[in-house]
Amino acid sequence: MDLSRRHFIEAGLGAGMVGTLGACATNTHGADGIAGAPGQPAWHLGYQNAPSNGFEPEAMKLVFGKPPADLRGSLYRNGPAQFQYGDQYASHWFDGDGLIHRIAIEDGQAVHKARFVETRKRREEQAAGAFLAPGFGTLGDESYYVESSDDVNAANTSVMVVDGELLALWEAGSAFAMDAESLETKGPKVWRDDLKAMPFLAHPKVEPDGRVWNLAVGGSRVGIYLIGKSGELEDFGMVDMGRAAYIHDWTMSERHLIILVQPWINENLRPPVVAGFEWQPQHGLQMLIVDKDDFTNQRWAQAPARAFFHTGSAWEENDGTIKFDVVLYKEPVLGVGGGAAEIRGEWTAANAGVDGVLTQVVIPTNGDARLIETGIVGEFPQVDPRYRGKQRQLTALVSGSTPNRPGATGLSTHNWMTGESRQFEFGANRMVEEFLFVPKAGGSSETDNWLIGPVLNLKAGVTEICVFDAANVSDGPVCIWQADYSWPLGFHGTWA
Amino acid sequence: MTRTSSLIALIAASFVAIPLASASELTVTVEGIADAKGTIMLGLFDEATYNGDGAVNGANLKVDSTSVTATFEGLEPGEYAVRLYHDLNDDGEMNTNPFGMPTEPYAFSNDAKGRFGPAKWDAAKFVVEADGTTHTITMN
Repeated sequence: MDLSRRHFIEAGLGAGMVGTLGACATNTHGADGIAGAPGQPAWHLGYQNAPSNGFEPEAMKLVFGKPPADLRGSLYRNGPAQFQYGDQYASHWFDGDGLIHRIAIEDGQAVHKARFVETRKRREEQAAGAFLAPGFGTLGDESYYVESSDDVNAANTSVMVVDGELLALWEAGSAFAMDAESLETKGPKVWRDDLKAMPFLAHPKVEPDGRVWNLAVGGSRVGIYLIGKSGELEDFGMVDMGRAAYIHDWTMSERHLIILVQPWINENLRPPVVAGFEWQPQHGLQMLIVDKDDFTNQRWAQAPARAFFHTGSAWEENDGTIKFDVVLYKEPVLGVGGGAAEIRGEWTAANAGVDGVLTQVVIPTNGDARLIETGIVGEFPQVDPRYRGKQRQLTALVSGSTPNRPGATGLSTHNWMTGESRQFEFGANRMVEEFLFVPKAGGSSETDNWLIGPVLNLKAGVTEICVFDAANVSDGPVCIWQADYSWPLGFHGTWA
Repeated sequence: MTRTSSLIALIAASFVAIPLASASELTVTVEGIADAKGTIMLGLFDEATYNGDGAVNGANLKVDSTSVTATFEGLEPGEYAVRLYHDLNDDGEMNTNPFGMPTEPYAFSNDAKGRFGPAKWDAAKFVVEADGTTHTITMN
């Protein structure tokens, strides 16, 4: 951490904030005089409703540094953004309607806009002014019919762009096709007639050549999608992982799909889904390794019991050893209060639960897998997209925490080759979201990347987009754009 | 999966015609058909047969426009319900995705909808009067 740099940024932004605060008259201001709902802590800003029509295009203000000249494209992000109808709170953070953001960056300018995904759940709940659909943490209203997984699709977890088409991703239902420019919703994506309404996980894996692999999870059965660069389905197959484990993410090397079967089991997916999970550590963390060229060619690997949400990426060494990075928890962190308490503005240290630790899993060709823990507490591990599936060195992840609120406070990188970690701490006044690798023009090494992501500035009550140099995040941001307003914390994004 | 399977079993149940001696007539019109091809496979049930495999009566209706009509004669007046699916590819089966979710359109009388399963009898039932009844189902 570079304290002087951080303090400089804090001071610089503080000075620049005077005009900003005057301009954010649309924000409500909390009891502490900082943006937020009346009576709510400042951090609750991350869990407040977005405007029902989203956000119209608005240029963000450059408040720090110099934007890289080669940074040109769009940061798309998704996250829940409807938490309240009147006095009624959503039952779980994961059940809020997805709001798709586009931060278009060109010539040093950043323009933000956002639209909700117009799912059936969104349309009917907006019309009723109430939560109706069952979900991950929501029982739902008996009057709300459910004939398909897409009747409860919140489309709120991630985004992907394939051949110019933007897809809003959930994990238990279809991807939703969106217009990449206007962000208008087209409708559920049907990859093939016989795959209508099949789930499509929110963590597709994109090969460096642009082909996409993804999974569909239903109980112990797992569908495997292979999508070509042109967006056409090239292959689909089924495998069985033996148990109805919770699968949010997975990983992939050049030759194998690696499905992490964590011992967090739900044999009865009745709403609220979260209530049906059971931690069964006796099974350990098992990994089903599937040959990309022949889905029937499989092997299993075993590790100690761990829970997880997110992986980095896998690679294979010459002798067939598989290595991948993942944030592992000693036990599941949901249901502790996480996901339900935050949206009510409630938080105690107990809500924080167990820490997720960046870990490398080493799977030998024979025998049990080994876990190599870095000691870095964080989430949302990311890698250089040019190195997905290949041997590489660098992982970036959000890190750091403060006992008084949810959310991360910093950004870290870890080099698996040298063992060196670098970190930048924003401090308690900022909530740090997922940062993505964006390759620099010209360079080809993993340090030839920008890291870009949003940060919620609690002091000013506004959202910022920060850019770091992946070569040294501890130097602090390269530049920061600031909106005149805030938007709710999201989950995942993509750069296109 | 169990719920989905039971939904399919219910909708795709055999549509065996069981003529009953009576005088009532029922006309069922299915509107809002998206694809003018294939066959609407329609089953008529009473309460005793609704959750089982056998229908009171049934019709296979070729689709060449946005609506089809079936007429059932000789019905005993009383409560009935319709379950139907649109067999788009004419393979005689209600097709599903690998997880068992229907991939062909289906509907129930009263445009009733299910909640994690088929529409309930109470939601789908309607009365066939002694002097005849018409009933319209709208696909969506």
